[in-house]
Amino acid sequence: MALSLTVNGDHLASTADPTTPLVDILREELHLTGAKPVCREGFCGACMVLIDGTPRPSCLTPAALADGCEIRTVEGLATQGQLNRIQAALDTSDAVQCGMCFPGMVVSLTHLLATTPDAVREDIRAALTGNICRCTGYERIIDATLLALATK
Amino acid sequence: MIPGPQMRNAPVETRNATTSIHVAPSLASALDALAEYGAAGAAFAGGTWIMRSPVRHEPLRAHYVAIGRIPELGSIRIGPNAVEIGAAVTHAALAAALSDLPEFNVLVAAAARSANPAIREMATIGGNLATSDFAAADCVPALLCLDAEVEISSRDGCERMKLERFLEIRSTLAPGRLVTQIIVPRGEHKTAHARLPLRKAGDYPVAIVSLSISVDGTGRVRTARIAVGSVEPVARRWERLDAALIGRPLDPAHAARVAAELAGEFAGRDSVDAPAWYRVSVLPGLVRRAVAAALGA
Ligand SMILES: Cc1cc2nc3c(=O)[nH]c(=O)nc-3n(C[C@H](O)[C@H](O)[C@H](O)COP(=O)(O)OP(=O)(O)OC[C@H]3O[C@@H](n4cnc5c(N)ncnc54)[C@H](O)[C@@H]3O)c2cc1C
Ligand code: FES
Ligand code: FES
Repeated sequence: MALSLTVNGDHLASTADPTTPLVDILREELHLTGAKPVCREGFCGACMVLIDGTPRPSCLTPAALADGCEIRTVEGLATQGQLNRIQAALDTSDAVQCGMCFPGMVVSLTHLLATTPDAVREDIRAALTGNICRCTGYERIIDATLLALATK
Repeated sequence: MIPGPQMRNAPVETRNATTSIHVAPSLASALDALAEYGAAGAAFAGGTWIMRSPVRHEPLRAHYVAIGRIPELGSIRIGPNAVEIGAAVTHAALAAALSDLPEFNVLVAAAARSANPAIREMATIGGNLATSDFAAADCVPALLCLDAEVEISSRDGCERMKLERFLEIRSTLAPGRLVTQIIVPRGEHKTAHARLPLRKAGDYPVAIVSLSISVDGTGRVRTARIAVGSVEPVARRWERLDAALIGRPLDPAHAARVAAELAGEFAGRDSVDAPAWYRVSVLPGLVRRAVAAALGA
């Protein structure tokens, strides 16, 4: 049975097996390669996407449970070619190193900005518990998030 | 485990192409489907354990019944004598619902500090109790110290049992049976959950001490229920420590000293993240932290 997915506003059908992890559909069928399957265990956050507005590791989300949901990936966060607040702040702060973790970081932080506009350093750290970065040591990412929070 | 830097970008080879998922709209539909699938079927709650089967080199079942959209399994009822928690309540929802009730500090801490924020939005309390191979489950010791009961339903009816009993039988639970509720009695207890992950957060705990204690008018321990998780393959109560604390003033340093004397009864489990001896050796420190947290509440 075909699954119906709404990805970044586009309505799409998939015939993937119901237990196929969403990350594989995004990458292999839809060629949206922002979300990355790094651990496939829910630890690293590199595959994070928004499902009905909530950050979810797409490696642990089976196709059958993404059916009918509104999915937003890092590719769908800019509007009309305009980076969103956290994307712009990460760019301005030169926070990105290898970039492997960033699609997931941007997704988690986009949600934090939307839901916790008065977040402080500790809130940002807690929100990134499930987003592992091998390169940056996190501090520049946190500084960029504080900058984004201050930019209304 | 903290993932290594390489990508696991091999999508399909370990999956079973014939697996089905029935998204149950109601409890009756879930119980019917589970009865029909028998041993080939299983509940699919948050999926945070099941979806990692390929990484553990375990086959998936042929059929899953997704229970996350069944209204009664997602609800929490706070009554005067007990709290009834639907099995598909997520860690995040549980922590939010009980955060104003200090007697449940232990359960709120277990649910609010396990894993990471995205996982807490998915993983369920029923899945946490039902996963027999998961030694580091936070809610298991928390619910042991709260003397919780588990309700199990099937097409033929339902039964209740103590959590201790459920832990003994869970790996051989007959096909078609589903954990539907967790029932936690209320009381005037001081409770706390002390866990030790390797990093500040995000890892499995190396060891967990959960406790629920009541004290008399003079500050002496009247009742104590202490449970230990992640040290042995299955969480269990620490009854000798309970007995040693009763009648004594509640004091973190004293409790830690007694714990150090009694910790030898734990065998510990070895795994890549921590050796057996280490898990046992941190117990007195966790007992001290848990008692201090309970006193502070
Ligand atoms: C990165 C990561 C870190 C984690 N860290 C922690 C941690 O620190 N502490 C912690 O406690 N947890 C942690 N977990 C979560 C752990 O996987 C879950 O708490 C739990 O063990 C599984 O819950 P689930 O709802 O996702 O279950 P599922 O994956 O849906 O199911 C797990 C098993 O339980 C069975 N099952 C599920 N629900 C029922 C039911 N109602 N009746 C009968 N059987 C049922 C399933 O058939 C399956 O066998 C972590 C998970 C991840 C991914
Ligand atoms: S690949 Fe999904 S969390 Fe690491
Ligand atoms: S920038 Fe390299 S992993 Fe984060």
